[in-house]
Amino acid sequence: MTTLIIGFLIGCAFGTILYLSGATSYRRILGTLRLKDMWIIKLMATAIGVGTLGIYLLDLGGLAHMSVKPAYLWGVGLGGLIFGVGWAVSGFCPGTCVVAAAEGKKDAMFTVLGAFVGAFLFSLAFPVIESTLIARANFGSITLEDLLGFNGIYIAIPFSLALLGLAFFLLKDRYE
Amino acid sequence: MERDYIISWKVAGIALGLLLTLATALVQPLGVSTQFVVTDAVVAHKVAPEFAESNAYLSKYGEKEDWGVGYGWMLVLGMFVGGGVSAMLLRKRQPQEDKGSMPSMWQARFGDSVVKRNMAAFGGGVLLLFGARLAGGCTSGHMISGISQLAVSSFLFGVTAFGAAILMAHFLYRTRQG
Repeated sequence: MTTLIIGFLIGCAFGTILYLSGATSYRRILGTLRLKDMWIIKLMATAIGVGTLGIYLLDLGGLAHMSVKPAYLWGVGLGGLIFGVGWAVSGFCPGTCVVAAAEGKKDAMFTVLGAFVGAFLFSLAFPVIESTLIARANFGSITLEDLLGFNGIYIAIPFSLALLGLAFFLLKDRYE
Repeated sequence: MERDYIISWKVAGIALGLLLTLATALVQPLGVSTQFVVTDAVVAHKVAPEFAESNAYLSKYGEKEDWGVGYGWMLVLGMFVGGGVSAMLLRKRQPQEDKGSMPSMWQARFGDSVVKRNMAAFGGGVLLLFGARLAGGCTSGHMISGISQLAVSSFLFGVTAFGAAILMAHFLYRTRQG
């Protein structure tokens, strides 16, 4: 029960941050994907920079409840490509369409509807996909720590600093 | 110049990174796309239980006892509530360009048709979730939570998703030569 309440509260904070920062806005998302307004990529790079450091500091104390997704190269790669096309066409991702729909945006409600259909179509296609795209070239739940063979904190610190540097100093908006 | 945001990407990025750290300490990292399947599975178990149990993917979610509604599902419900409440309270401060169901950038390129915009939004949604489920996550689960855990699969997802999205966005907004 406590876990459910924690989930709800974390979700509330997540939705609020996405709304307040304009992450549900088409102009921000397409502006980033057209490489003109770097808002979303700066937001994400900052979040990942802080998150990587946070998670690997927790991990040092054995406090991180990690959940690493398996690396099945074909499925993840192809899924990413399909996802990317849907992202550019709709202007939303699965999280922001939920928040934008709550905001009252009608186009986002259509994206949510489409998302339910897409998830359903995937469940129909799953038996075929599992044996081909997921079972093959599946390296399991591996991280850079496993790959490089030393403690993740030594990767996390430089990686975080690089991302924060990218967001705060390197990425610049460019308009015509 | 008038501010065209409520909170900046810096504040939002830091807050989101801290929220992710908190979630990882308390339960597990953030994720959204699985919950679309959970919801589908719950509905399928209600409407057509035999079909739902016969489907290898849906039968994993929406179990009879707890319906698969757990931490992750409550998180997405919270996103809806949090987004909705903050929108109600702060709508006045939201920049004009971020409001409404017809983005002006879209309108300038593709015209005034609401049907066209909604069809694209729907079709995009289908691709989003098909792709996310194939890859095992979306922007929150793979890119933000996954890369923060230095997961190999999430780096691959980040590159392919951003790559395809950038190419598609340039294709949609290409300027005619000549």
